[in-house]
Amino acid sequence: MKTKFSGMLTLLLALVVQLTFAQEKTITGTVSDDSGLPLPGATVLVKGTTTGTSSDFDGKFTIRANQGAVVVFSFVGYTTLEVPVGPSNTMNVTLLEDAESLEEVVVTALGIKRQARSLGYGTDIVKGEDLVQSRESNIVNSLQGKVTGVQITNSSGNVGGSSKIIVRGVSSLSGRNTPLWIVDGVMINDSQRAGGEANRISGNRDFANGASVVNPDDVESINVLKGAAATALYGSRAAAGVIMVTTKRGKANANGTATVNINSSVRFDGLFRIPDYQQEYAQGVQGVWNPGSVNAWGPRIVGQTVPNMPVTNQPGTLRAIKDNGINDFFKTGRTYINNFSISDANEKMDYRLSLTSLNQEGILPGSKLNRYTANFNAGVRHSDKLESRFGVQYIKSKTFGVGATGSNDPNIIGLSFFRPTLDQNLFRPWIDASGNQVNHIVDDAGVLSNNPLWIRHENSNNRNDDRVIANASITYKPFEGFSLTGRMGVDLDDDKRFIENSKGTINRIDGDFDSDDLRRQEITADIIASYNTNLTEDITLNVLGGFQYNSRVFERQRIEGRSLLIPELFSPANAAQTIPLRDFSESRLVGLYSSAEFGYKNWLNLTVTARNDWSSTLPKNNNSYFYPSASLAFVFTDAFEIDSEWLSYGKLRTSWAQVGNDAAPYQLNFTYIPVTTADGQYSLDLNFPFNGALAYTANPTIPAENLVPEEQISYEVGMDLKLFKGRVGLDISYFKSENKNQILDVAIPESTGFAEQVLNVGQVNQEGFEIALDAIPLKIGDFTWNTAVNFSKVESKVVSLTEGLERFQIASAFSSVQVVAVPGKPFQLFGIDFLRDEASGRPIIDPDNGFRQGGETKEFGSVLPDWTGGWVNSFTYKNISLTATVDARWGGVMKSSTVENLQTQGLVTETLPGREGTFIDTEGVLVDPDTGAVTDNNIPIRNAQDFWAGLDDDSVATPWIYDATFVKLREVSISYSFPAKHLKNTFIKGLTLGVEGRNLALLYSKVPHIDPEASLFGSGADGFGIERANVPSTRSVGFNVRLTF
Amino acid sequence: MKRIKIIILLALLMFNPVTSCDNTLDINTDPLAASSADPNAVLPFVFVQYSARKVSELGTRICDVSQYISNTFNSPNRGTVSSFLTGNTWNMFYVEVLGNLSLVKTDAAAAGVTSNNVNAIATILMGHVFYEATSIWEDVPFAEALDGITFPNPAFDDQQTVLNGIVAMYDEAIALIDAIPAEGVFAITPQNDMFYGADMASWRMLANSLKLRTLMMLKSGGANVDAQINAALGQPLMSSNDQAAVLNYSGQPGAQNAMLTIITRFFGPDNESQDVFGPGDPIDELLNGSGDPRWDLWVARNDQPAPGNDLFPDPTTSVLSNNIIRGSLPDMLMMPAEIDLYKAQLALEGFASAGNAETNYRNGVRNAITWWGQDIPGILATVSTGDIDAYVNGLGAPTANDIYNQQYLAAFLQPVLAWNLYRINKVPDLQAPPNSGIGAILRRFTYPPDEVAANPNAPTNKPTETPMWFEN
Repeated sequence: MKTKFSGMLTLLLALVVQLTFAQEKTITGTVSDDSGLPLPGATVLVKGTTTGTSSDFDGKFTIRANQGAVVVFSFVGYTTLEVPVGPSNTMNVTLLEDAESLEEVVVTALGIKRQARSLGYGTDIVKGEDLVQSRESNIVNSLQGKVTGVQITNSSGNVGGSSKIIVRGVSSLSGRNTPLWIVDGVMINDSQRAGGEANRISGNRDFANGASVVNPDDVESINVLKGAAATALYGSRAAAGVIMVTTKRGKANANGTATVNINSSVRFDGLFRIPDYQQEYAQGVQGVWNPGSVNAWGPRIVGQTVPNMPVTNQPGTLRAIKDNGINDFFKTGRTYINNFSISDANEKMDYRLSLTSLNQEGILPGSKLNRYTANFNAGVRHSDKLESRFGVQYIKSKTFGVGATGSNDPNIIGLSFFRPTLDQNLFRPWIDASGNQVNHIVDDAGVLSNNPLWIRHENSNNRNDDRVIANASITYKPFEGFSLTGRMGVDLDDDKRFIENSKGTINRIDGDFDSDDLRRQEITADIIASYNTNLTEDITLNVLGGFQYNSRVFERQRIEGRSLLIPELFSPANAAQTIPLRDFSESRLVGLYSSAEFGYKNWLNLTVTARNDWSSTLPKNNNSYFYPSASLAFVFTDAFEIDSEWLSYGKLRTSWAQVGNDAAPYQLNFTYIPVTTADGQYSLDLNFPFNGALAYTANPTIPAENLVPEEQISYEVGMDLKLFKGRVGLDISYFKSENKNQILDVAIPESTGFAEQVLNVGQVNQEGFEIALDAIPLKIGDFTWNTAVNFSKVESKVVSLTEGLERFQIASAFSSVQVVAVPGKPFQLFGIDFLRDEASGRPIIDPDNGFRQGGETKEFGSVLPDWTGGWVNSFTYKNISLTATVDARWGGVMKSSTVENLQTQGLVTETLPGREGTFIDTEGVLVDPDTGAVTDNNIPIRNAQDFWAGLDDDSVATPWIYDATFVKLREVSISYSFPAKHLKNTFIKGLTLGVEGRNLALLYSKVPHIDPEASLFGSGADGFGIERANVPSTRSVGFNVRLTF
Repeated sequence: MKRIKIIILLALLMFNPVTSCDNTLDINTDPLAASSADPNAVLPFVFVQYSARKVSELGTRICDVSQYISNTFNSPNRGTVSSFLTGNTWNMFYVEVLGNLSLVKTDAAAAGVTSNNVNAIATILMGHVFYEATSIWEDVPFAEALDGITFPNPAFDDQQTVLNGIVAMYDEAIALIDAIPAEGVFAITPQNDMFYGADMASWRMLANSLKLRTLMMLKSGGANVDAQINAALGQPLMSSNDQAAVLNYSGQPGAQNAMLTIITRFFGPDNESQDVFGPGDPIDELLNGSGDPRWDLWVARNDQPAPGNDLFPDPTTSVLSNNIIRGSLPDMLMMPAEIDLYKAQLALEGFASAGNAETNYRNGVRNAITWWGQDIPGILATVSTGDIDAYVNGLGAPTANDIYNQQYLAAFLQPVLAWNLYRINKVPDLQAPPNSGIGAILRRFTYPPDEVAANPNAPTNKPTETPMWFEN
């Protein structure tokens, strides 16, 4: 498709120029950038003449010139190159990016490279080098703070965990809020399915999201396409934005030989935040010592001797252990990332082979991730008319010991596990020679609880994932300006999970296992034809048309086995009870698309696109949907020939787009579903066959009769400015989207006999603005300070649901807490509040006992932030550079069950007052039942334990709902590149040493004790704003060495 | 010209796949689901799903409301009903059970008299579920329920209307059974009818027995149903434990009663060692020292005091025995002792057709003890017939209070029935939990938030201490 040519050819041409004769001839060639990508639209001019042309869609050109003349190549954003005409009729040149240029080139939808000035919509680019300054095991996290308009949530400190990315807020009520990932033109799946129970509440294992396997070392750039106009050519699946990844291609080094790079990092992880544990009172309740209690409402620690110390059950002296021993349990995490790549290129071919290993040991004992990535891509220019290219990535990920979150699972070890006098070192060893659990926690009645190290080392929470992402393309160019490309890509994911409780685990005493095999396959094929020409001297036209076929298959086979006969033998035949599950879905999409771009004098560009999709998931009579888009870019500084000291570049842009979206598969027909379980509370399920009988149940969802595609209409206006000779850049966008006809499983009155009905209902609007400011405030000699600030304010508001539906549940958690959609508001946190005095808003105390009382459910506010922002500063002095990133999420609310447990169990310092003696809830009021008079509460309760432990009676959520605002020092990196003169006598061409840090400090937060970013829900669910027993997040410091040969 | 040809060819190439779109896209049928289902496949789901949710949800959470168990997890007994408890129960009743049964009934009705057996079973089970629904929420969707096309927002009927409708359903079921033809009847596989193995005479008896249960509630509410009660007394009623409507659990993993699995899943091997379920104060007061064999069958460490109202047992208290809290404990929908004791009550109240009050009373007590001491599947500890006879024959002529107490005991581990009997009889004299927010025994659940949000006809919730119509 696209071919990379060596810049060395240019030098060779220059050397032989003196041997040429002044004879006009036809010269052909290709203009490429330094990554090997063709540059369409580059100006090719014979110096001193008016003879000139432009490179075509694939960077190719043909020009007539005399031998000895000089050909000038120029392209906005790149340094101009002059090349003398020698005896050769071929001239392949590489233009280098101009760092001080006012322009840039971006890769847009379908891999089309365009000048930024011609775009009518906003786009953000993150260069590959910015992703590896401070390496992350999940590439999504590397984007934090660097892109406007995106919100990234890293659920926890789990190794191999998921991260959620949302572009310009949420648009869907049905969970389709994560962007489409495209790698080298191929759609890949970014889906995520938690391990364990599907509800993500009971023993949730946050396994990685699909896109986490994208290897930052192989990434040339990431382009975030945000508006519908930017993504329209990708079809309906791109309604929530596109993350477009371009991987690196082969390059020759300056000597014309292969380039070898080695990049190695080592990183150390520690706890990001330690709760403010109280150290004054021991385990127990009501002041009475109990070594096995999860509560710290026991006696004051005064060095007294107790007859039964924790774990040992022997007499001993009580003493508080620093930070409740949390650092004795969690380890220092270690991550080693090594990348080796070799690449080369000449005028005939290019290739790049990259091998990467990521070996991570998490802070949670027994947790680790080993990921190995092999990436090979190559391109061949068979002739002037035919090119082919292919790439393949194989990623092997093995995750061990993922921490369980949520509740109702013995494998959960949250921050509330750590107790004032519980020495974590006593848990070693956790197993005896016969394989039995030892060193349990024992309470004063002799009841055993699990040794946490047994949980961590003997129970499996593993994932073994094989992923192949491959693409192949062939491009045929029968005549100048026209090209035809056929491209096929496949993403194959073989995802095997294994979760196991070994025999002897308290609460799973007979042992069980869950073997869950998931397979996803996505195939995409495109045929793209393009043609570009100059209609007149001032007017250019680029047209494109294409066909796309996309198929997605999901298969799942799961076997759960319970009550094992022989320990550690995980065969279904070794389990007294087996529960099989099989799942399958397939959906297909066929699309036709086209675009036309009209340019006028390089300062006015109008782009119109049209696409029609046919989906397998919609009714046959409604399965076709058409969506157009239009965008306009107007560089007013060129149009009005403004060239002032302070304003060097100005562009206004606007776009409009309408896109559609289809449904999930199998929503059109009424079915009976064969079932293997009958659900009970607390997951106490029964199984079929039951007493020999099989079972079917009617699907509780009424299928759709006249489903039509979802509809998204979006508008965007924006302005780009370059000020003060390019030292200050400002990019402002305002956007609005209306998302109508959402395809939802709408809750209907269950008294109809059905729970839900598939309907086209509801509307969600997104409205907001983004500001990106970059500047070079200081440049003195060798010292440069670059600063970049991004700010995004997005409001995603539910405009309507359906008649009679007050709210729609987006996600559910424990204790009646839900995330709901309510007309007129953003997504709301919904739960039970205290009974309150209307006038003062204070809780009404029960005069009979002095406690607060449960009230009605209510909305507590948006779970989405008011705004997000990032601030990146880079300082360079000679060969030293320092980069620091601060990011902020402002507004929104969250509920923390971890803090709830820390407080109700008396583990943290705010629970210290009032432990000995009565306690009065001074926030409460008393309401006289006869007169209604409201007075301050004066009813004493027994002590602080009764107050704190009673707060969550009646499932009240209020005390643990917090403003989720935070500001973090996300990333700091320092690097030193050895000067070339020091390396000139070595085989090393480049050597850079770096120190990197991530998640270094929580600069501001109102959430006590925990990382306010924590989320119970992984990237695959639309749950926001709820946390429960998450694996604590980490702070990381590392070192990096980059070598180039 | 050459360029034009190429472009035309390419255009044809690109559009060609679209012409075969129809076949390519015709894949939207779930290969792992069926478009229709035989009643033999749906009925097992109904039986087992009803029991799975009833035992794990109501069984483990509300049996401290009627206080035959001292305390349970996440109980509404202090006056607040969690949205999960009320929502899960509502969903099981209306969607998982009634939804499936209404489809079975509709198909059976369309098939005609040869499917009367299926139709009758579905109708009887539906009647029972509506009975439990109105017992829990009082006014519930009935006449407009289960027909979302005609009634997308079903109206809520008052309790008397619902109960009368349920009686009519049982009458309809009996009529359907009576009209079953001699030949050509749809074959219900015995193992799929988990109560009676496709024996329709037993189903007829159950329908009449459930009808009497419903009439007793109507009578309690003040309705004049004497004639209907007399009519029911004149039809076959349940009289021996082999006629009981119970779902048997094998006790094997996946077929264990949730009263045990909640312990083994979250605590340890059994109830006696883990002290989860303890006897409520009324059990202690009625059985301790009474000579009733059920005391030893039900209660371990029974020389120690009961745990107390709203308290879990501990090693210093009595605890429900492993003989009761076990994986093979059957789920009881209706027992003959209940009928015997209704008849005793009715006889005492002057219903001649009910027979002799004392005889019925003793039959009821005997049936109840024999169930727990001899007949219950998976029995661990037994009581001899001689011991049972000795105790039963020693009982004096019953007072109404005696009968009410025995009705309460006979409803042991039947969470809704025990709660109903207390609310009807006010016997035993239950005390509100010490930290009750309502200062009374819970009288009702609040409606599930999901139904309230979706159905504009949902009534406003009454305070949970507000008695229902049937308590008149």
